[in-house]
Amino acid sequence: MPPVLSVKDLSVSMNGTKGMVPVLEHLSFDVAQGKTMALVGESGCGKSMTALAIMQLLPEDFRVTSGSILLDGVEVLSASPKELRSLRGNKMSMIFQEPMTALNPLYTVGNQIGEVLRQRRGLSRRDAHAQAIQFLKAVQIPAADKRVDAYPHQLSGGMRQRVMIAMALACKPKLLIADEPTTALDVTVQAQIFDLLSELQDDTDTAIVLITHDLGAVAELADDVAVLYAGRCIEQGAADEIIAHARHPYTRGLMACVPHLQLGRAIDHLAAALDEIPGMVPPLGARGPDCAFLPRCAFASEICRAQPQPPLDRINAGAAVSCWRHQEIAPGAMA
Amino acid sequence: MTTIKSTAVKPDTTMLPARAATSPIAAALRQFARSPAGVAGAVVLILIILATLLGPHLYGVDPLDIAGAPLTPPDADAWLGTDYLGRDILSGLLQGGRATLAVGGVAALITIVIGVTMGSLAGFFGGPIDTALVKVTEFFQILPPLLFAMVLVTLFGQSLVVVTLAIGVVSWPSAARLTRAEFLRLRNLDFVKASRAAGGGNGHLILRVVLPNALPPIIVSATLAIGVAILFEGGLSFLGLGDPNTMSWGLMLGQNRNYVLDAWWTVTFPGAAIFIAVLAISLIGDGINDAINPRLRKRG
Repeated sequence: MPPVLSVKDLSVSMNGTKGMVPVLEHLSFDVAQGKTMALVGESGCGKSMTALAIMQLLPEDFRVTSGSILLDGVEVLSASPKELRSLRGNKMSMIFQEPMTALNPLYTVGNQIGEVLRQRRGLSRRDAHAQAIQFLKAVQIPAADKRVDAYPHQLSGGMRQRVMIAMALACKPKLLIADEPTTALDVTVQAQIFDLLSELQDDTDTAIVLITHDLGAVAELADDVAVLYAGRCIEQGAADEIIAHARHPYTRGLMACVPHLQLGRAIDHLAAALDEIPGMVPPLGARGPDCAFLPRCAFASEICRAQPQPPLDRINAGAAVSCWRHQEIAPGAMA
Repeated sequence: MTTIKSTAVKPDTTMLPARAATSPIAAALRQFARSPAGVAGAVVLILIILATLLGPHLYGVDPLDIAGAPLTPPDADAWLGTDYLGRDILSGLLQGGRATLAVGGVAALITIVIGVTMGSLAGFFGGPIDTALVKVTEFFQILPPLLFAMVLVTLFGQSLVVVTLAIGVVSWPSAARLTRAEFLRLRNLDFVKASRAAGGGNGHLILRVVLPNALPPIIVSATLAIGVAILFEGGLSFLGLGDPNTMSWGLMLGQNRNYVLDAWWTVTFPGAAIFIAVLAISLIGDGINDAINPRLRKRG
């Protein structure tokens, strides 16, 4: 069965004052029905640009310079505005990072969910309202028949994100893009939202592109992972494989930045300093052909400085990595 | 996990009934009712409107008839005196208010319709459309409004309709700029992007998503535009460019301006009427501004 979403060699550039500046370079990935693909990386790595490129909602000044995005067999990049409108909502939809600002403050939530249904499904006002209550129940909002008439400012952040999810899934899209859906929420609610997403995915068989920097969520939800750094994919593969055997120094750095708390461990382990990755993502336009992570990499050597960043090198069926020294510094070899 | 869910949502459920059904419009109206200046303005304006609607029937003197000797001071027959032709001033005020308020309202409507259309298209689409529409707006803005309106009235005739259209046509640029600024601010917000991501077309986004959120400052400026249009009509009439066949406050001012020093009542009362009406409208505008400005609402 062909994948729901197939991104091939996608590059995005920003048309700045100094000409075209690459933002995203040669990204490829597939997402199959009912599977979750996680895009991981620091801020400014091109995760959100990937999402916006798929939705064709890139801000002005940003252009897709090469590649192809096939959604359910349709080329998104060459779709007419009319085709795009019918793809959005029907075939693909998106959950935004900030539930506080992603709902229109002037309409009740039922009105906003119903609007999608009335436009897309041609439902009557009353049917759309009834359906909206069903959707609110599906995203586990208590007292859904009352909340359907609430305005966004009357709901908590977690509730609003549930409403966003209900809106996004209202037309049963094949692909759901979740752009850091829990970043603005507190930790207990984050877990609920992730649980909800995976339950809904089991019910509807939606393909999900999850954009996150929460590696816990990746381990829990994702089937595949692509780690982005400075607009380049530096490690890609099956989620459990990458989590268990991260090869790229950046991926390993990211993992070391997350506290691993385990019951029964000695307390001095907890006191051990949490690692950080020194330095910052190089700004747009300051990215040369050599490995973008080079200035921050603890393993950088002459091999790395002498040649441009290597292409993704397939290591086994489950993983590919872009690093000159991945064999030397692989987890096994380190011991 | 299930236990966390049920405990986490409980407090919200209990609070729901108390907070339900506060639509933004209802909240704004409640807030407006708490603004003394706004309420005072609304009361005065309603009284003026009632007086102009009912007054002519109750007072029963034709404003264009000769009611007494020219320039009679206020007395028991003509309560506010007569003008230079002997016409009753009070009757003129009551009857003329209709035309004045109608010109104000309709001209403000024209201003807002043209301004909002131009501003929303420019702000929403940006790029070349924005550049072109901003150029057109600037073209209208650099023309001195009073002179431009005088030219229009001179060219197309001194009728109430032409005066109203002329006022609307010369005053829309500021409404266009305000609307454009609001659209520029709103069009990149997440909920607009979310609507687009849900498949909303441009028409839907402009009319149903962005425009309602841009309305608060537009409503305020529309209210104030009524006051400005009334002043404008007064100014045109004062210069002798009003409609001579329809009694209005501005016309009374204009026709009696030569007798200011001899018969103060001929211009004082229409002038005061314009002053009070415009003041009332300004107060209402301020009240609405307070009511829909979220920063002030939180304080209240």
